[in-house]
Amino acid sequence: MSVVGVTGPHRGPTGTGLAFLLACAFLLGGSAAQALDVPPLTGRIVDLAHLLPPDGAASLTAQLQAHETRTGNQVVLLTLPSLQGEPLEDYAHRVATGWQLGQKGADNGVLVLVAPNDRKVRIEVGYGLEGTLTDARTSQIIRREMVPRFKAGDYAGGITAGIGAVLGTIEGTAPAVPEPVDIRTGGEPTAFQYWMIGTFVGLLAGIVLSQGLRHARALFGSAIAFLVAQSAGLLVGVAAGGVTLLLLGLLLSANRGGGGGGGLDRAWGPGGEWGGSLGSDGGFSGGGGDFGGGGASGSW
Amino acid sequence: MNGRIVVLRAFLLGGLLLTLAGCGYNEIQGLDEETNAAWSEVLNQYQRRADLIPNLVATVKGYAAHEKDTLEGVTQARSQVAGLKATPELLKDPEAFKQFQEAQQGLSSALARLLLVVERYPDLKANENFRDLQSQLEGTENRIAVARKRYIDKVAAYNKAVRYFPTNLTAKFLLHLDVKPNFAVADEKAVSTPPDVKF
Repeated sequence: MSVVGVTGPHRGPTGTGLAFLLACAFLLGGSAAQALDVPPLTGRIVDLAHLLPPDGAASLTAQLQAHETRTGNQVVLLTLPSLQGEPLEDYAHRVATGWQLGQKGADNGVLVLVAPNDRKVRIEVGYGLEGTLTDARTSQIIRREMVPRFKAGDYAGGITAGIGAVLGTIEGTAPAVPEPVDIRTGGEPTAFQYWMIGTFVGLLAGIVLSQGLRHARALFGSAIAFLVAQSAGLLVGVAAGGVTLLLLGLLLSANRGGGGGGGLDRAWGPGGEWGGSLGSDGGFSGGGGDFGGGGASGSW
Repeated sequence: MNGRIVVLRAFLLGGLLLTLAGCGYNEIQGLDEETNAAWSEVLNQYQRRADLIPNLVATVKGYAAHEKDTLEGVTQARSQVAGLKATPELLKDPEAFKQFQEAQQGLSSALARLLLVVERYPDLKANENFRDLQSQLEGTENRIAVARKRYIDKVAAYNKAVRYFPTNLTAKFLLHLDVKPNFAVADEKAVSTPPDVKF
């Protein structure tokens, strides 16, 4: 039996039925594979394996927070006792995308995952940082900073040194420039589309109307049709335009009202309008960043 | 009556155009585009892997020159991959898609064999340059896995729209689009488990 199979286009009822069954099997298999849940993102450090002493965790959190304020990069640590048999890379990617670390569009998040009982560590790098925090660099950090200390049983030291090296590597990166808000990417019909639909509906109504006026001349009918079409189109267009402007206004005012302070802190810092925000006490959340599988894994 | 027919035609035309939106014209077009984008990402990552190989082979050669067969196997598998035209058009031809997959699979096996051979050369394993290359290769394999998974999800959504009623009518009679080939489950398993290596 060949290891490579494809489900090509099927014609006829038998083929379609078979494809449907395959799709069913596929969907079932996909959902059954996810055994280990993504834990809730409670802060920059989610220490489920209790590897860090309280004061160590506090200073590391402050370090990560200061780094995000400076550069916009979101670096988060997750420790958990065991992966329960799930492949490290799959799980790390699932957590990183589930938490959406990094800012949307900039994808500047990093997840450091340590599973002490499995003796496995991974640094998952967001799309936007793959250029600076390369696979080779993350592998070096794991090999040189983390694994030797983990081997000696010094988890706190290994994590601190590893995260320090990660931050050092991406420290120089320019603050992420947020994507401009484009009101036309929302999938909502534009005013022009409303106008088109309105014109069309109007045209239809005009034709019906003119056909109804049996005694009217054909020319008169067409003129009415055209007029009705235009006015209906214009009406709908104006209404849609008004709604769009209103929404735009709301959006802009909401954006302006987002930050309280001034200067750089307001732009990149906690509570900024670009997402990736956090409150002064907890309330930390991902900013919508995406991950493509970059980074490196290690074991000890 | 002539007038009636005109009215009827106008209604039919209007009805048809209005139902286009309801029958997933835009949806299918959007999914088609997303599928192509996901496929491009798969190709992109496969290309990245192919680009790493000359460097890797050269580094291994420096330490393990007499592992000629394994090294040649990798080079050969790579040229086989490079010989296939990898474009979004590939998705329209299940046979070519299958060939492409088999070639990439061949390269995966050859690389796995090479990395196994490397285990016998401690000097090579300790070489920093090699370790960096190896981590890049691992990272790329992981990116391939992610890109493939995203493609699978996109194709599933696209194929669903092409098969479901009433969007299937739009796809079939208006856009002339057919289902796209996907990576089969057996294929996924083969990728995620290392191949058997016999010496």
